Amino acid sequence: MGQVRPESTPPADRPVRLVFGHVAAVSSAAADRRMPTDDEINAWMRAVAEAADRPAFAALFRHFAPRIKGFLARGGADEALAEELAQETMVALWRRAASFDPARAQLSTWLYTIARNLRIDHHRRNAGTADLPDDWDPEQQPADAHLTPDELLLAAQRERGVQQALAALPPEQARVLRLSFFDEHPHARIAQDLGIPLGTVKSRIRLAVTQLRRILERTQA
Amino acid sequence: MIQHHPGDELLLPLAAGRLSAGQALVVSTHLEGCADCRARLHTLQALGGALLEEVEPTALEAGAWERTLQRIDRPAPVRVAAAVEPAAHPALPDGVRWPASLRGCRAGAWRWMGPGMRYARIVAPHDPAASLYLLRIGEGRSLPRHTHAGIELTQVLCGTFDDGRALFGPGDFDAADEAVHHQPVVQPGATCVCLAYVGARMRFDGRIASLIGGWIGM
Repeated sequence: MGQVRPESTPPADRPVRLVFGHVAAVSSAAADRRMPTDDEINAWMRAVAEAADRPAFAALFRHFAPRIKGFLARGGADEALAEELAQETMVALWRRAASFDPARAQLSTWLYTIARNLRIDHHRRNAGTADLPDDWDPEQQPADAHLTPDELLLAAQRERGVQQALAALPPEQARVLRLSFFDEHPHARIAQDLGIPLGTVKSRIRLAVTQLRRILERTQA
Repeated sequence: MIQHHPGDELLLPLAAGRLSAGQALVVSTHLEGCADCRARLHTLQALGGALLEEVEPTALEAGAWERTLQRIDRPAPVRVAAAVEPAAHPALPDGVRWPASLRGCRAGAWRWMGPGMRYARIVAPHDPAASLYLLRIGEGRSLPRHTHAGIELTQVLCGTFDDGRALFGPGDFDAADEAVHHQPVVQPGATCVCLAYVGARMRFDGRIASLIGGWIGM
């Protein structure tokens, strides 16, 4: 414990070799510049969960940490906070890797909810009014989807199509959804951007989400 | 059978982490009993995952990787989750569970707010100023007719009320705003208990009701 080998930045310049059980996966520096596939990401997660594999963790760090930082920065976090929470999210990934089940969710969604909850918790602790008990668990709120296995399977199938469905939405509706995640005061911003009264923002949000669901159902029919 | 659900204008901010703590607690309480809404939330959280994948990556500071390695080498802090039920909470009718979403919240005793009507203040440790209440209203009783300056969220834990717009039974959720002017009347058969978030003072029609509303902070 406490002995840190002098590992530098996540090794982007040397091959990453993952070995766990009888499965071995090798990725090269050239391969690292493209987007990893779901299978690669899930193999890295298994290696972290089952063998505390640091090269696999490095590969995940290299892909996700800059995206989490970028996501938080775009959502209004300053540089230092985005950096801190991105690292904290990756530490949570390392510690909780065994609880990730690729059949239930995509890793990007799992990491998104961890980063989101850490951000909420950070703001609550810094609001000055909060009197959080020692046993306060930042993961407990907001309630994440606790689904039965059947529901999960369906939800996971739907989840895989969300990225494409977002791309298929009319630009104005995609914008409503993006602002809902990225803007600190989404309603005011949506009203301003779309040039609509604040009172009609709610119905635009409903419309955008309804469209998204419709596209998801159509592509999975 | 649940008839009334939170709209996407509430589920989307919940998924995005932008819903206020008080509102999030009432919506979460609904999710506990509603598989449909849990699946809807799941899809919206996947939207967060999709946006995470498409966002412009931002380089981490020099040394971020080494610092992360140091942190994972330290033992994880041991966290004992709070019990779902607080040590003491206002008694609920038989068969009604204390909402798991209220874990960690403090709950006051039942207090009188009118004939056959009681309320208990709920204090969320992460947002103590949020106006959260449990309301317990006897059969045939009604809240005074009122409207709202802001949003009012209600989750029915047991019993049924009719506010002239619709019937709301166990598991049902309602969001009312300044456009809604209603008088919830509890139906015969069972006491009604609701978890309510009051975004801004209710505006009661009657002078005495206004007085009581102001007195208990509703």
